[in-house]
Amino acid sequence: MPEPVVEVDHVFKEYKLGDHMVTALDDVTLTIERGVFLAIAGPSGSGKSTLLNIIGCVDTPSRGRVAIAGHDVSGKTPDQLANLRGRNIGFVFQTFNLFPVLTAAENVEYPLLQMPELDKEDRTERVSAMLDMVGLGKFAKHRPNQLSGGQRQRVAIARALVTHPEIVLADEPTANLDHKTGEGILALMREINRRSRTTFIFSTHDKKVIDAADRLVTIEDGTLRLLGIRKDGQWITTPANRKPAPAAPEI
Amino acid sequence: MYLRERIQEQLKAWLEVARLDFQLALRNVLRQRRRSLFGLVSISGGVVAMLLAAGFFEWNYDAMREGMIRARIGHIQVVKPGYLEAGEADPLSYLIPETAPERELIEAFPAVEIVAPRLTFSGLVSMGESTISFLGEGVVPSAEEKLSGALRIVDGVDLSGPKADEAMLGQGLAQTLGVGVGANVILVVKTSSGGVNAKELRVVGVFGTITKAYDDYALRLPLKTAQELLRVKGVHSWLILLDATSRTDSTLARMQEKIPTNDLEFVPWHKTATADFYNKTVSLFSKQVLVVRIMIALIIVLSISNTMMTNVRERIGEIGTSMALGVTRRVVLRRLLAEGIVMGLVGGIVGAIAGIVLAHVISVIGIPMPPPPGMTSGYTAGIMVTPGIVLNALAIAVGTAFLAGLYPARKASRLNIVDALRQAR
Ligand SMILES: Nc1ncnc2c1ncn2[C@@H]1O[C@H](COP(=O)(O)OP(=O)(O)O)[C@@H](O)[C@H]1O
Ligand SMILES: [Mg+2]
Repeated sequence: MPEPVVEVDHVFKEYKLGDHMVTALDDVTLTIERGVFLAIAGPSGSGKSTLLNIIGCVDTPSRGRVAIAGHDVSGKTPDQLANLRGRNIGFVFQTFNLFPVLTAAENVEYPLLQMPELDKEDRTERVSAMLDMVGLGKFAKHRPNQLSGGQRQRVAIARALVTHPEIVLADEPTANLDHKTGEGILALMREINRRSRTTFIFSTHDKKVIDAADRLVTIEDGTLRLLGIRKDGQWITTPANRKPAPAAPEI
Repeated sequence: MYLRERIQEQLKAWLEVARLDFQLALRNVLRQRRRSLFGLVSISGGVVAMLLAAGFFEWNYDAMREGMIRARIGHIQVVKPGYLEAGEADPLSYLIPETAPERELIEAFPAVEIVAPRLTFSGLVSMGESTISFLGEGVVPSAEEKLSGALRIVDGVDLSGPKADEAMLGQGLAQTLGVGVGANVILVVKTSSGGVNAKELRVVGVFGTITKAYDDYALRLPLKTAQELLRVKGVHSWLILLDATSRTDSTLARMQEKIPTNDLEFVPWHKTATADFYNKTVSLFSKQVLVVRIMIALIIVLSISNTMMTNVRERIGEIGTSMALGVTRRVVLRRLLAEGIVMGLVGGIVGAIAGIVLAHVISVIGIPMPPPPGMTSGYTAGIMVTPGIVLNALAIAVGTAFLAGLYPARKASRLNIVDALRQAR
């Protein structure tokens, strides 16, 4: 049986909004195998970001259990979670979130500063390898405001991968890009996924970009609806069963 | 050996972390130029104000101190043990020889410029009908030339030699007696044997120091003449003049170590009774300078904390991003605090340079001052910025900027990451 890299087990997330509760995730159970390229698709407000945030350990569930790369997340201190994120998870954001005062190379280097075992030489080596991988070797010294949206997102991808994480999470990575650039970004991620067997999870509300993935989860109103697997260019989908808990659905 | 290498490695790692933190902080400080400029200006302004205020007082302390040391008391006095406490009642029991092997040892110290023996006594001086009491100092004129650099001869000339029957009168004393240069005065004193002796001396000069109370009573005469008058052989003190006042305590310590004697006591200028007024003045005005410093520090904290708060609020998205990327709260705190320190350092250094330049300009122009209590005339003050004042102002600048950053930095380090990320643009 393939090794799961993410286990989400009966997770609820509720927000207090004024005097009533909003349920952003409503009993979500999901297991993600290592090395997949998974799309989480759903309309705006369906809970995609909430789910990705919980998988990314920047948010904690109201109820339920989450394990990332074999680490049970519950009961960890903020510092332990920060280390877990720094070493196991890469983030790509819809708004790129590069640091404007740093050059492309320095942005890519940034997460490595949390790894004291790497010296300057190791870091420089990794950074230039990553920039080459995303095709921006010549832009190392550029500041984010000197780069196009697509280039910025490539820098962000390099930054997400530089720590050699188990999982890369991308919350609507193409939403701020035109269609063609967005496709390029997904193709780049797909290629890296194939080569490195790094697990990629991205969310989107745009049905057109789903086909870049090889696994699919659809979400509506905080509830998983369909699980899909792509075989020979076709999606084979099954309903995501809510209640039958004994065996969590494998995708 | 191994441990040492490990420590070196660790130190290198820490230095690297500090370098990166400060580099990042500097860039973040530089990015909001206008706002940072405002913060920097308030820090620099505060530092300039501190330098000028403290430097003005320092100039006055210095003038007072050097005027006292270089006219009256020297840097170190060598006396018979107990002279300072009990000498006034029975001065002639506290004599030391005019020369001794110890004096040669003292003169051999490189910091020592001159050793001047003095014999101090009191008595009555009269001219015609008027008679008043005086404070006499038997001096070696050639030595005093150097030691009493701050003593001004306002009329006539200096004493001509160690034996002449001459006197030099303090301004106030000459005035009260109604004598001028060329007049003869009669000194009457009690001798060592209990009798009374008198001598007629010619007034060759009138002098002034910065202390009116001294000039009103003091007169100087050649040492030998004074010894004859009192019928004694020795002196009361050897006054040591050093090349710099700041070397007093270190030289004193070395002298006490190198010259073992129970017959002599070494007294630094600040422990003498004459320095009492100076010491009290300094401690009083230092408190006032402290109040000025506290007020300036408060102003800096208030104006910078606003800047810092805005900086942090504007960068919540970035801070959330860095935390998502694995930066711990502690490191977020550290990096934001580094920004405060950078502001304080940059503002402080700029302010220190501006303050030093301004102090020079003001000193060249001069600050006209009225005669202070206990002094004879008004004077032109300057501003004296010492390294200590600069370091103190820099420490306050960095410390206050650090403090101002503490609250925003702490708040930022406890941000909810998801909420923070939502603010990223
Ligand atoms: N901090 C919050 N406070 C209140 N409600 C929230 C908060 N974050 C998300 N929600 C709600 O949770 C639901 C899911 O949000 P989200 O995960 O951002 O959806 P998506 O990313 O799919 O657009 C929405 O109804 C949203 O309004
Ligand atoms: Mg979203």
